[in-house]
Parts: sequence; structure tokens; C-alpha cells
Amino acid sequence: MIAYDYLKPKDLAETFKLLDQHGRKAELIAGGTDVMVVVKQSNRSPDTLISLRGIEELRYIRKNDGYHIGSLTTHRMIEKSTLMQNELAALNQGAAQVGSVQVRNVATIGGNICNAAPSADTAAPLMILDAVITLKSRQGERQVPIREFFVGPSETVKEWDEILTEITIPEQMGTYGTAYCKHARRKAMNLPIIGVAVGLSLNTDETIGDARIALTVAAPTPIRIDEAEDFLRGKSLTDDILKEAGLIASSPECCSPRDSLRCEGWYREDMVRVLIPRVAKEAAMNAKSKMNR
Amino acid sequence: MNTVSISFNLNGDPVVADVPRDWTLLKTLREVFELTGAKEGCGVGDCGACTVIVDGDAVNACLYPIPEIEGKQVLTIEGVAKPDGSLHPIQQAFIENNGVQCGFCTSGMIMSAKALLDETPEPEEADIRSAIAGNLCRCTGYVQIIESIEMATKHE
Amino acid sequence: MTNFRYVGKNIPRTLETDKVTGRAVYIDDFKLPGMLYGKILYSSYVNARIKKIDTTQAKALAGVRAVLTGEDIPEVRVGFIKDQTVLKKGRVRQYRDEIAAVAAISPEIAQAAVDLIEVEYEEIPGVFDPFEAMQKEAPLVHEVDARGKPIRSNVLPLPWKFSAGDLEQGRKDSAFVVKDRVSTTWVNQCCMGTSGCVAEFDASNNLTLHNQTNVIFGAKQRIAEYFAKIGLKDKNIRVKNVVVGGSFGTKLDTDIYEFICIQLALKTRKPVKILFTREEEFKALPPRQPAVFDIEQGCDKDGKLTFRHVEAVLDNGAYTSWGATTPSVMMTPISSLYRVENVYFKASCVYTNNIYCQAMRGYGTPQATFAVETSMDRLAEAAGIDPAEFRSINRNQSGDLTPMKLKITTCGLEECIQAVKEKLSWDEKHGKRNGRGVGMASLIHVAGGARVYKSDGHGMRIKVDDEGHVDVISGGTDQGQGSSTVLSQIIAEELGFRPEDISFTIGDSALGLWDAGTHASRHTFIAGNAAIAACKKIRRQILKMATVQLPKIIQFGLKRKKRMDPDFDLPEIDFSLFADPDNLDIQERKVFLKSDPENPYCSVDASQILKQGLHVGNGKSQTVMAEVFYDPPTQMLDREFKGNISMTYAFGTTGVEVEVDKQTGEVKILSMIAAHDVGRAINPTLIKGQIYGAAYTGTGYALTEEIKSLKGKVMNPNFRDYNILTAKDDIPVEAVVVELGDADGPYGAKGIGEPGLVPTAPAIANAIYDAIGVRITQLPITPERILDAIKQKEGDAWCE
Repeated sequence: MIAYDYLKPKDLAETFKLLDQHGRKAELIAGGTDVMVVVKQSNRSPDTLISLRGIEELRYIRKNDGYHIGSLTTHRMIEKSTLMQNELAALNQGAAQVGSVQVRNVATIGGNICNAAPSADTAAPLMILDAVITLKSRQGERQVPIREFFVGPSETVKEWDEILTEITIPEQMGTYGTAYCKHARRKAMNLPIIGVAVGLSLNTDETIGDARIALTVAAPTPIRIDEAEDFLRGKSLTDDILKEAGLIASSPECCSPRDSLRCEGWYREDMVRVLIPRVAKEAAMNAKSKMNR
Repeated sequence: MNTVSISFNLNGDPVVADVPRDWTLLKTLREVFELTGAKEGCGVGDCGACTVIVDGDAVNACLYPIPEIEGKQVLTIEGVAKPDGSLHPIQQAFIENNGVQCGFCTSGMIMSAKALLDETPEPEEADIRSAIAGNLCRCTGYVQIIESIEMATKHE
Repeated sequence: MTNFRYVGKNIPRTLETDKVTGRAVYIDDFKLPGMLYGKILYSSYVNARIKKIDTTQAKALAGVRAVLTGEDIPEVRVGFIKDQTVLKKGRVRQYRDEIAAVAAISPEIAQAAVDLIEVEYEEIPGVFDPFEAMQKEAPLVHEVDARGKPIRSNVLPLPWKFSAGDLEQGRKDSAFVVKDRVSTTWVNQCCMGTSGCVAEFDASNNLTLHNQTNVIFGAKQRIAEYFAKIGLKDKNIRVKNVVVGGSFGTKLDTDIYEFICIQLALKTRKPVKILFTREEEFKALPPRQPAVFDIEQGCDKDGKLTFRHVEAVLDNGAYTSWGATTPSVMMTPISSLYRVENVYFKASCVYTNNIYCQAMRGYGTPQATFAVETSMDRLAEAAGIDPAEFRSINRNQSGDLTPMKLKITTCGLEECIQAVKEKLSWDEKHGKRNGRGVGMASLIHVAGGARVYKSDGHGMRIKVDDEGHVDVISGGTDQGQGSSTVLSQIIAEELGFRPEDISFTIGDSALGLWDAGTHASRHTFIAGNAAIAACKKIRRQILKMATVQLPKIIQFGLKRKKRMDPDFDLPEIDFSLFADPDNLDIQERKVFLKSDPENPYCSVDASQILKQGLHVGNGKSQTVMAEVFYDPPTQMLDREFKGNISMTYAFGTTGVEVEVDKQTGEVKILSMIAAHDVGRAINPTLIKGQIYGAAYTGTGYALTEEIKSLKGKVMNPNFRDYNILTAKDDIPVEAVVVELGDADGPYGAKGIGEPGLVPTAPAIANAIYDAIGVRITQLPITPERILDAIKQKEGDAWCE
């Protein structure tokens, strides 16, 4: 049965105090679009929900020695942010494709990451952007690179008494061209069958400087594809090269998509192969337009 | 279950209520305030039939924990027409252009449309489609809903 | 064409302003004092014996008012062939089997009590594939039939077999023959409002059931039959609609939850509401009937169809609702879509432990049309004829009598095919195989009633009060299509009143006269004809009243004017003309002299006449009212399933242009033309609304929608995983309305509720084939299925 207490701390200090008091019987809730759904669908709830929604200090997008995104920043804020549109296109695209306007208006990026769904739309973009996650607790704070953040489906390195406060992206990532593709059955209201994000920096001769490729729903957690990235570095931007990167990424060594209700594994694997070149081209366009700016 | 005392602005009027802490905004609107225009079509944010506007933003009332509503401005379908009963241009357009069939999605659809037009008075078709993508409809194929919203922008 | 004032005009849906202001009361919003809430316990196993049910804890929960199991209520068999009971005792055969029910003071407490009921099961092997279920050694889903006789096969004893002409001769005459297996799956109707009802007994055990049925008298009959078996024979039953949040077939049968709700209300002596959650809507509501067709067709060297041979296997699920009767409707397109003399059709409905099925928009027509139109395309290709031309060659025509003995009074199929060809630039685009393609498919559907019951009638009462207000009391219902608006146009036109003078009371068995149901796309046609007949009577009554009252009112007015203004010159009026009602007419609610319509002194608001006619003070006062029962002169199907079941038939063609991404298998619809022979459009905007909505649902049927069932369990019972299309899934659909007028239809109209959905899926499938040369014969046509087919065809080259 659903029956929970709902607490609304005003700041982090109060939140830590409440976490201490209630221990593991409490669960943190931000926008609530995942937590409330789980509660309703399972018809079970934790004893206490501690809401972070009132902590306005965690709601921001700033550029100041890197990009700083407060964990309570909503997807809608990222979607509408011209800074994000211009400089971190993939993250903007990922945020803009979550659920509906109604969901994006309340769902937070921190919540999306902490929920750690293998299909999270902001995860692949954050992976290619080398995001760093700040976790705070009463004891202090620590920084975790996003590649180390996800442990399994719905599992992260965040401890129960820690709060994700900020997502930081190195300033240099703003110079990369990036793109994200959500491959789904419908154009909205769907979780992706596969999510592909690519980040590229181009040399002045338009060969590939650096390459980043991340996938969601291709493994139990969002993953980076080092083999394909290594392959691309220093290569020219030709169709054959990009195709080869797709082929490398779709190999069993790199990804392990499985059969699920939404889609069969072989199709996901094929889409990794097909979509990486397409998303890479879009990322390259994005990079070129930045170079010309 | 312990209750929470909330005060907020509902369709222009200040209201207060004691509500169980585990209720949603939707349940509160329907059961405490007897405003049943917002519907529960799925209960998990997949259909948008419960859409209301909170501080200018369209949200799913079915996923909105009631304690979060403290101090907020809430607009429901019941507050869209003028106090004298005359219809808002969006409502008028839905009637004129068959934007409503069974009507179950209509309240939510109009709230999403209103949130859009309040922010973007002259939207492109793509903006409209995006704004109502979270409002499912099985009757209309959306065609005349989109036309109605476009028609409303001209009325205004 | 006559110039009408309201018919053919886009009259707004002002009658439904409550729906845009949040005031309309749906079942969700409907409350009665003291009302309790019911919840149902479903089976945890798909096929099992129930060893024990323990309701002790549930009964002890505070707020619970009743807990019922099969032991607590009479064991009465219900359903189309009476193969299930309301609460299952001893044995479950599917996951949705209702085992127990609770009534409590809140839905939350009722659910909590349901969760406290303990059931011990002993699982037994089930069968989930209809072809396996047909094998001799397959486990039997049922041991005995309704009469207690042992059952030896999972194949239902239903007579679905049709044959006409000489099939062997047809084969001999064939120059080309194609044979295919085509299959369709379960899809959910996805009404935005979930199912529910409120049952309420009075102190004498008379029942009022507030529900969403579109067949109020059918529901009443079924409940009366049930009442007779539970000791409530002859109790009054009133079935009353609330505003209905979509229907699409789901409100045709009386569902088990309604009987449960009645039992809970009877037990608690309180009104009880059952309202489904969305999850229940997916798991416990019968979806569209799936079917597998083996279809074989031939044509001669000129492309004329020579024969059509179809065998279908239908997964019936564990019990029987209307799904098992879909073959009787599949017969329409199988026997009568395009001219073909030699036809054979046989359908077997087979019990399995899967979910059982019912009606959905189009009934069996979309399934059968997917088979026929897939085969038509294949045959056209085999014969080397353009598929549009091939359809034109074989088109139905006005005056045809089909092998099923359907009398085709008017047929706009050729106009529809040509409209699609022209709008799609067919000749330019067809056959390119360049990733873009065009395809088409057509339909036939009953459009002038459907005599599936011995009465296909509709009763309508119309009364006009002394204020000039028209109250229409109809035995029909509305599930969102806007029938009241359409009928108000017909009535206003016929009476000479204005649409705003007219109100509707519908969906109440106590007030309305019999109606066979707002199904089979019959309402506009049948209720429209009833309305016209009633209006003729009303009009006559008003004009007769006017012969007496009109001269008096005019003379009184003139006298008063003269009194006020002595200089006023009294006009010369020949009052003898008023004595004959045929000299009078009504327009815009004004009664006037036909011979002098512009004369302001001879035109009087009908309300004045009605008032004077009622308040006469001499014991001869009159009210104006009429009652009409219209039952069309159609035939029941005979033993061979032949007979003219409808007054007229709708035809239409949908054409689609698609672009297929050969590397992802994704299909983009570039253009969709839905051309329909509607007879006459009473309200073009509303007709388009029906066509657009149906086209979207049809597109979902074609591409994205599917109930995923794993050993009888619905795996995707939510919108997130079920995939009905959103507003962002842009389907550029254009409706083309072909109006030839049908002599029997009200103002020439035919029914249009279902047709729009019917040809959508095969049109898309045919366009995909035209684009990439890959034919998918299984719905839905997912990117996985397309890519799989491409890879099989092209091997390693698919990704080049």
C-alpha cells in the first residue's frame, strides 16, 4: 500500500539531518517523475520521501571555468538554455527528448542520473562530455567521473547518505561538436531502444582530433566505446571511416545489448552500427559550425 | 496518516486544506476541491489527461506530490474560462473545429495548449506538436486539435 | 443539390461545451452519497486449480464492507456462449480471471483488502498458440460446455463457413494465383477514459447501472437474463450513460466487472463504483481479436478476380466475447470487397489460455482487409498489372449484388481510387523501389445499419415545449463522435428550427425507446432516419396548431399596433390562407405563409403558437410531441451467411506514400489520402474528425501497437510500452469526402465511424513493399521486422 511521509527540507544542511534521522528507510525525491511512478506501479512506498525540490540553490546552469549544472536543474531548463543549445548540443538534445513537456518541467537532471536507468536520455551525452558528479554528504564531498558513476541498472556509486549536488563539465568540451540520437518507436513519450551520443573535435585540416562515443541501452549501464574512439582519432571524416567506427562499436567486445520487451538485442546491435556514423556526422557538422563561429 | 496543511492559489483564489502527505495534486484537486476536469488517464505521467498549470508550467498533476504545491499558483481547466462563463479562445476553437470528441483528454490538452500560448503566442506547428506530445488522444488523430490551437492564436 | 440551412454545414459542437470547461461528468467523476469502491482480485496463474481462498484478513481490514468469492454468489454462466462465471471457482484459465472482489469505503482500502486475500493455486499446463491448441493432444481449456456436456476440442463450435459460386471453376479460369499467410495481433482500444460503472439498488432491489455502454438495451437484456438466474427476476433495470471517455468497441459487451459491481452493490446495499486503472485496462479488458489468414486468390489474364479462398484461425483466448463473432463481419470484405464470384471462407476460433477478445472499431474488417488487400497487391504484381488499375478493374459498382447478397445501392469506390491516385501522383511515383513508395487499399463496410439482432431499430422521441425548445430523447448513445450535433442539424433542417433550440437526452433505458446500439457505424443513418420521420410528425402538428393560432396571434398583434398607433394602416391579409397547413412553412423557428414569406406581419415565432396552443383555457390544450421507431427493411444473414444486412454500404480507399529507412527499418509516412464514400456529409468537419482519428489508430495498428503477451501475460500494460501515436508522430492525413448521396440515408448520408481505420494498415504495408520490395505480412510492421526482411533479402549488403 502507498503510505509515506513527505519531508521538505529547505537546504542541504537540513536534508543531511533528515537523512541521518531516517536512515535507509527514507528515499530522496527530486522532480518525482521516476520515484512517483515506481511508487504507483509497485503499489509500495518507502516510509519517508525527502524532497530536494525546495533547495533552490541547486537549480542553476552556469559557465565559469567549466559548465556547472545544479542537480535540481530541470530538463526543460536545459532544453531552453541557449548556452546549452550553442555549446553542449548533445546534452540539450538529450534533455529535450525526455518524456513530455509536463515531465521535463519537473524532472531534474540529477534525478535522471541517480535513477540510473540504462536508457536515461541525459546519460550518453554526459558520458561523452566527461561530466564529473559531485556527491555531498555530512562528511564532506567527493567528485566522481561519470564513467565510474553507474554500476548497474538503477545502481550508482552514490551512498544513501550522499546527495548529488552538481554536474560539472570541463570547459574544453564546449569546443567539441556533439550530437545525440534517441532511437525509439515513437517520436515522444518513449524510452529509447538505443541512445547514441558522439563528441568530436576537429583539427584544422578537418581530420578528427578527439572522438567520444557513448551508448545507452547497449549494456547494463551507459558505456563509452574506447575502441571506436581510438580508431577515429587522427582519421579523416569519411563515410568509410565512420562506418568502421560503427562496426567496431557494435561488436560483442564493445557492447552487449540484450533482448527486452521493447526490442530485440540484434536490432539494437545493428542500430549501434547504423547510427554511430549518422550521429558522428551530425557531431562533425556541429564542430564545424563552432569552428566557423 | 499524517496530513500536511497547504495553502496555495487555485484558479485565482487563495485556498487552504489539510491533505494526507502522500496524496498527489490530482487527487487533492478532484477530492478536496471537487475540480474533476483534470482526469486520471494512467496515473503515471504517460497520458497527460491530468495536466494543470503550476506557476506557468504545464505539469502532470498525477505525479505532483501535494506538499510541493505550497505557495504555488495553480490553474486548472475550471479556471480557464472567464468568470462570466465566456470561453477562452482555445476552448472556443476546440468547440468550433471539432478539437474535442470524447473529451477525456480535452482538459489536459487545453492546459498544455494554454501553457504554450502563454509563453509563445505565435507557435509553429512543430511547437504545438511538441507541446501536446505528452497528451494522448485516441479519437482525433490530433489533426483538429492542432488546427484548433492554431485557430486560437488567431482569435487572441 | 438543394441548398440546406444546416445539413452539410460545419455546425460547431456547442452542445458539448461542458467538455472544454471540465464540467462534463465521466464515470471517474460520478459519485453517489454513501458510495463504496470495488476492486477485483485477478489470478496469479494463467491456468490453475484454485485449492483454497482465504479472505479472513481482507474482511478484517477497517473500511471493508464486502468481500466476495465464487462461493458467495450464485454460479451463473455469462458471456456470448456462456463459458464463464462472474467470479471463478475452483479453476482459472487466464491471468485476468476474476477470483474475488472487495467493496470498501475508498479505492485504496479496497485494493489493500484485495492484496490481503490469500489464494492457493495448483498450476496446470496451458496452451498459448491456437495452432497448438487445435492439436489432439493439446490440454483442453474447458472440460464442459454451458450445458454441462464434455468438450473434446479447443475449437469452438461456431459455424463460420461461407461459400458462394464455384471455386473449382474459379481456379480453372485463373491465369494467376497467389497464396499468402497474413496475420494480425492483439491491440488495445486505448480509450482515454478507463472502464467503470456504478451499480445502485433501491430498497426493492431495482437496479440503476450508471455505465458507459453503447448498447443500453443490450446491456439491460444481459443483466435481466442474469437477474432471472440470481433470484431477481422482473426487477426493474435502468441502464444510464455518463459521459463516455471513448469506446471503440469496448462498451459493446457487458463485461465481468459490471456483474461484479452489481453483486457488490447487492451485497452491501450501497452504490458501488468500479473504475479500472490503466493497467487493468490493458490486462483485464478484451482487446481486438487477432487472426491468422491463409488467403489464396486468382485472376484471369485480364486481371478479373476468379476466386478467393480464405481460411482463418482466431485465438479466442480462454472465454468468449464478441471477438469470436468477428468472422461474421470478416465475411463482408472477404466476400464482397471487389467483385469476385467464387468465394470460400472458413474461420476457426480456438480456445487458448490467452486474453480473450471483443470488438474494436471496424470489428473483423481491418483484420480481413489486411489479408485481402495484401493478396490483391501480390496478385496484381503476379498479373503484371498496376495495383491501382487492378483494383479499378475489380471494383464494386452501384447496383451490384455481392456473393453475400449485399445490395450495393451506391458505390463511390472508383471515385475514391481515382482521388487517391491523383492526390498521390500515383503513376509518377509507383514502382520506383527507391526507398519511397506508394500503396493503397480499399474497404467495404456496413453503413446503413447492420442487422445482427432481430431488431436493428432506433426509437426517437421528440417534444417541443411552449417556449419553442426541442427535447430529443434518443435510445442511442454518444461515445465522442458528436452524434448529437449531427442529429441537431438533421432535426433543425427538417423542422425549420435552429440547432440551438435542440437538446438531447440520450443513453437512458428508462427514457429512450429501443436502440440496437451505437455500433456498426449505424447511428447517423438509423437515428437520422428516425429523426426525420419524427420531425415530419412534429412539423405537421405545429402547422396544424398554427392554422388555428396563427391568425389569432396576427390579428391580436395588428389590433394592438393600431391601438398604440392610430395612424397605422392595417395591412390586407387573406386569413383564409391560414386554414390549410400546406400553405404554411417553418424556417428559423418562424412560422409563415409560403405565398408571402417576406411579409413581416405573417411571420410568427413558433413558440408563440405552441404557447397559445397549450394554454387555450377551453379543455382542448395540446402539446407537440412525436415518437418514431425506425427499423430498416434489411435482412438477417441466413444459414449460409447471406442476406442484405444493411441498407447501404460504405466504400473507401486509403493511399499512402512512405519513405523507408533501409538501414533502420523505420517508416515515415509522407502523405496519407483517405478517400471515403460517405453518401452525404451532414457535417464535413465532424466527418473529417472521424476519418483522421481512425487513420491514426489504423497507423498505430500498422506500425507501432501490439499487446505483448508472454504465456498469457500482458507484458506491456502501460502507455509507455504500448505505443499509441503521439502528436509528434506526424501523419499528414488528408480526408477526401466523396458525396454521391444514398437514397436511403438521411439527406443521403452513410455511416463513417469505422471505415477510416479499415484500409490503413494494408495501404501502409503495400506502400512499404513499393518502396523497398519487402513485404511484411504480419502486424505490426515494426522496424525490426522490416530490417530482418531486408537482411534476409540483401544479406551483408544491407548496411552498405
